[in-house]
Amino acid sequence: MRNPEFEYVDSSRKESKEQIRKSLTYWKDAWRRLKKNRLAMVGMFGVILIILFGVVGPWFMPYSYSDQNNNFANIPPRLEIYSIGNNEYVYLSKQYNLILVSSKGELITKLTRTNMDVLNKIYVYTYDGEDIVVDYSYRARDNDDGIDITVSYKGLTSEYPAKTVSNKTYRLGSDNLGRDLLTRVMYGARISLTVAFVATIVNLVIGVTYGAISGLEGGLVDDIMMRIVDVINSIPLVLYVILLMVIINNRGLWTIIITLGTVYWVGMARLVRGQVLGLKEQEYVLAARTIGVPKAKIITRHLIPNAMGPIIVSMTMMIPSAVFTESFLSFIGLGISAPQASWGTLANDALPGLSTYPYQLFIPAFAIALTMLSFNFLGDGLRSALDPRLRKG
Amino acid sequence: MFGYYLKRIFSAIVTLFIIATLTFFMMRAIPGGPFTREKALPDQIIAQLNAKYNLDDPVIVQYLNYMKGIATFNFGPSFRELGLTVNDLIRQGLPGSMKVGIVAVLMILVFGIPMGIISALKQNKPIDYTVMVLATIGVTVPSFVVATLYIYLISSRVSWIPITGLSNPIAFIGPAIALSGYSLSYVARLTRSSMLEVLRQDYIRTARANGLSETRVIGKHALKNALIPVVTYVGPMIAAILTGSFVVERIFAINGIGRYFVESVSNRDYTVIIGMTVFYAGLYIFMVLLVDIAYSFIDPRIKLGKRTGD
Repeated sequence: MRNPEFEYVDSSRKESKEQIRKSLTYWKDAWRRLKKNRLAMVGMFGVILIILFGVVGPWFMPYSYSDQNNNFANIPPRLEIYSIGNNEYVYLSKQYNLILVSSKGELITKLTRTNMDVLNKIYVYTYDGEDIVVDYSYRARDNDDGIDITVSYKGLTSEYPAKTVSNKTYRLGSDNLGRDLLTRVMYGARISLTVAFVATIVNLVIGVTYGAISGLEGGLVDDIMMRIVDVINSIPLVLYVILLMVIINNRGLWTIIITLGTVYWVGMARLVRGQVLGLKEQEYVLAARTIGVPKAKIITRHLIPNAMGPIIVSMTMMIPSAVFTESFLSFIGLGISAPQASWGTLANDALPGLSTYPYQLFIPAFAIALTMLSFNFLGDGLRSALDPRLRKG
Repeated sequence: MFGYYLKRIFSAIVTLFIIATLTFFMMRAIPGGPFTREKALPDQIIAQLNAKYNLDDPVIVQYLNYMKGIATFNFGPSFRELGLTVNDLIRQGLPGSMKVGIVAVLMILVFGIPMGIISALKQNKPIDYTVMVLATIGVTVPSFVVATLYIYLISSRVSWIPITGLSNPIAFIGPAIALSGYSLSYVARLTRSSMLEVLRQDYIRTARANGLSETRVIGKHALKNALIPVVTYVGPMIAAILTGSFVVERIFAINGIGRYFVESVSNRDYTVIIGMTVFYAGLYIFMVLLVDIAYSFIDPRIKLGKRTGD
């Protein structure tokens, strides 16, 4: 009668088969729902990637953010190189510097220019004791057979680029002082993210404390504190950020952090107050009060932990707007001072040469947009994961 | 009802007063006077300049004079632009900012709201995704990037589109796009989510059950309530946009007050900084006030005078 598909189990194994599902805590539940949200996971992945890019990235770079090499200024990430025989190549930069490039795309040296015939559009450079003649008159001709420039060296003339290679020395090109753009964008990420994170934490501390006190105290204290918030809320804050930047008058990292950190806490304060108003009527708060727990402890032990969900959502939304404001300030010249750079200053630096070296703007702009996008996705996802009203199971 | 308006107007004036006071004392707290230059001026000249601009009075007297000036819309002389007053600068800058601003605001209302409505009506259809992707990009790309990209990709290649200035109507396109990009996307997102919420309400189902046409259900019943959060956002946004964006005016070389403000910041022209801040804040507060009053007409659920906090 024994069915071969079944077997007897003794009591010890029986217990392990019994399924006791652990009750999910609030955070586990939120995490479970967040994981299901694909867009939020993409956002989280993006955030992690950007943080790694800024924190770990510079360790792998051979340059520092301030290393400059004027010979290799404004070299783009992709190079059209012309053969000069003997497996050697040259690249003519937009500033008419002739640069010796290896076949793989490594910049070797800038060649000295010996003669400039602007009238006939012929420049002569010297390499190894022999002349390299670059004729760029085709650029002004109507009928040029697709020829851009010709490069002649030791009787050999190349009319077309031998190939297009990636710049191996500066992966994302170099800026107008010959600094590696990739390294600068990595350091820019450090600065921009430091500003964003620290300013957000400062906002968080001020906003949460203010909101919690106002909500818990109630009455006159609450009235006065909320009137102050109303006043601050009706001030266009960008103006005050700018005013503070002018007043502190020290264009450092900390100035901008303090400025952003002390101005944008109002929204957080309102949010926390609203939460506290609801929470303080709960029985456990009443119980804590009855046994004489001090107010500060009620706030830190009972109120804030229970209001953590909305606080975290609001935080993830604050970070991108801090990145935004910082890049905006740097862009109008009130941000980080040189040679340090944030994404905003990098974008600002790229402005004068935009039509010739657009990549210098694209890269920091892309970094800003990617950061904003990632945090927005993550924030949206967190909002639906942490908000019990939106719970769908 | 009337009492509520009075109360709101009064509190707006108090806010403006606080802002003016705060700004005044903040600017006084800066080390070094407005005449501090790289090359130090002789003491006598500084004393005379101070006398000319009444800067040798006690701070409290200066403050009272300054407040008196603000009450009569007179923001005093500029320290750097000789012979010009702050009022002159505002008068010079405002038309440019307003022109671009109006175009931008119109673009936001004309494109943003319909985009949101369409996307809500076609929820989870391709058009919804397209609009939302566009709106997400619009919210994430900073205006200075939009402006520079526009110049690089379009106006520097198409000869009949001017790169800077506002010489002809086509020149408005770039600044208006850059200025409205963020808000347009935000309004589209806001309209969509608020529309979706309204469409789930019972009264919409009732309206449909009563056999009203879809246009009437959407246009008359749904839209009216769906637009309430949009109005809240649009009011202060209009103030911010009309007074110009610092960045867009700088990039497109438009003579607007945003540009004057940034210039006054880098020139440390204190009276201009204070004056512009107060002017800007005043406009902003005025718009918020208008929104609050507009509320009482749009949303009958709001009982004025009985609002208690949030």
